[in-house]
Amino acid sequence: MGECKLLLRHSGDPAYATLEGYQQRGGYEGLRKALAMDRQQVIDEVKTSGLRGRGGAGFPAWIKWNGLPKQKTKPHYIICNADEGEPGTFKDKQLMETCPFLIVEGMTIAAYATQADVGYIYIRGEFVDAARSMRRAIDEAYRAGLLGKNILGTGMDFDLHIHTGAGSYECGEESALMSSLMGERGMPRLKFPHAPLPTISGLWDSPTLINNVETYACAPFILANGGAWYANIGASTKNSRGTKIFSVSGHVNKPGNYEVEFGTPLMELLDLAGGVKGGALKACVPGGSSVPILNAEACQKAIIGYEEMMEVGSMVGSGGCMFLNEHTSIVDFIWRTSMFYKEESCGKCTPCREGTRWMFLILDRVRSGQGRMEDLQLLEDVCRQIDGRSFCGLGDAAAWPVAGALKVFRHEFEDFIRSGRSHAAKV
Amino acid sequence: MSQSSETPTLRFSPKAVAELESLKTHYPNLKACILPALWIAQREYGGYLPPEAIAEVAFRLKRTPAEVQGVATFYSMYNTEHKPGRHMIEVCTCLTCNVCGASGIVSLLERKLGIKLGETTPDGMFTLHGVECLNACDRAPVVQVGDEYHGPMDEAKIDALLERLRNESQSKVVQLADEIVQVHLKEDEREKARQAAESVRG
Repeated sequence: MGECKLLLRHSGDPAYATLEGYQQRGGYEGLRKALAMDRQQVIDEVKTSGLRGRGGAGFPAWIKWNGLPKQKTKPHYIICNADEGEPGTFKDKQLMETCPFLIVEGMTIAAYATQADVGYIYIRGEFVDAARSMRRAIDEAYRAGLLGKNILGTGMDFDLHIHTGAGSYECGEESALMSSLMGERGMPRLKFPHAPLPTISGLWDSPTLINNVETYACAPFILANGGAWYANIGASTKNSRGTKIFSVSGHVNKPGNYEVEFGTPLMELLDLAGGVKGGALKACVPGGSSVPILNAEACQKAIIGYEEMMEVGSMVGSGGCMFLNEHTSIVDFIWRTSMFYKEESCGKCTPCREGTRWMFLILDRVRSGQGRMEDLQLLEDVCRQIDGRSFCGLGDAAAWPVAGALKVFRHEFEDFIRSGRSHAAKV
Repeated sequence: MSQSSETPTLRFSPKAVAELESLKTHYPNLKACILPALWIAQREYGGYLPPEAIAEVAFRLKRTPAEVQGVATFYSMYNTEHKPGRHMIEVCTCLTCNVCGASGIVSLLERKLGIKLGETTPDGMFTLHGVECLNACDRAPVVQVGDEYHGPMDEAKIDALLERLRNESQSKVVQLADEIVQVHLKEDEREKARQAAESVRG
């Protein structure tokens, strides 16, 4: 348990972002082993590893990898979701900027396993440094015969493109990302079971694998060392294997990305980040803005793991971990959270388009001192009208933080409404 | 249904034309080129996407201006509303930045530039925007200018940044568009575009 630098081990070494430096530190051992196996064996290693999607949903990676047709009748595509937009999260940024070859190699392994011809890394438009880093790595890989035609002389062809976004949180949602990649407004599409899974019909009605940056970055280690080796890490938890990078920010002394073994207590993560700054710990949003907020008492009990976090009422999510001290107004924090979702709602479906706007307007009224006690019930009603009823997860993601804060910090909202102002401890 | 039978005025440079030709090979159809083509257009049209730019992209990709306009207006980084200033200063005011002093940075910038969020300085040098999460929260409060992320921001850094930008030879808005176009292109594609640009000068 505790800090476990696997992906980030060489992140501080500029040579790691060069092909030579990467290979000197074990790079491409995973791909070489993968290419010597059957495709199904590669997928089995990923299954044994217990790898779950690192973007936020925690879905078992092998199920996706295994989901593309074994009999190929159309082009197969793979996508790397590098649209990191979940507030509080900046792990993919660091991975792309300092460990670009992990992603290139990981995607190539996945391409082999799924018979993909073409891959796209969809990078949000704001991440120019990250995109430049990936560009340099991809250029080097092509020159060295690690991308393109006849990779490492095995006959495998795989073309890897960079495609940037242009400012839209919703494009981090799988189906909206695919819409955007195909040249549309970033709106989500109908999902399983009402429509085929992307692994059957994704980009241009063709089988498509889509995974997060960090998920692909785990693949080289799984193939190089074996799925069983990987599954040994985090084995103290119910079903969370390997390491997870947590982006720690907020009122901490050493904000940054910290990679920990699953099973690590949340408070140990706080220690790694230098402890809370400027006052006593009041709250934590451990997995990105969408996950329910924890109070200090819950933080003490929280263990990092997909099931374990749910036991204290929150989630691992993206790993975007914001710690807040006693001088923070939770009302203000949730007001700003609601503003984010209102701004980013794509507008396609009524529950989210209208619901995010109304949550913001109500919280704005509360924050400006015009709140009424009935507003708390009203907010909870609006949350219920959105949660599980929106076309994509953005609606849920908008409702959970509001509903969560009203559960855990209800008294603070009540005090604010009664007096018209925050009662957070004065600095 | 009416379709314009006139070719719009085409302003793409030979370099831009070569870049777009390369991009077309990345996707199975022309529609998928819309987003990267809009980045090319934003660069070619000086950091802005006026109706003429939308029409040119539509023409070159055999799509309709209405469709391209619909796509462009969805994304916050495509400047379809107004021509921005030479440099766009974007201050993140989202969660972590909000609890780490973003409002103070906004106030300082508004005071120093004499404008409010959303406005452009009268001399056309700076446009100031508040933006949603830039996902660099360990450096809160964060400011983005073109392809540069800055943080943790304070008054001294603001002064240094504004000073440097005033003397910057290229518009960061235009440069950002160019940098984004370049990351889409493979080595040989960038070389082809360079040659296309050179052939004009020859």
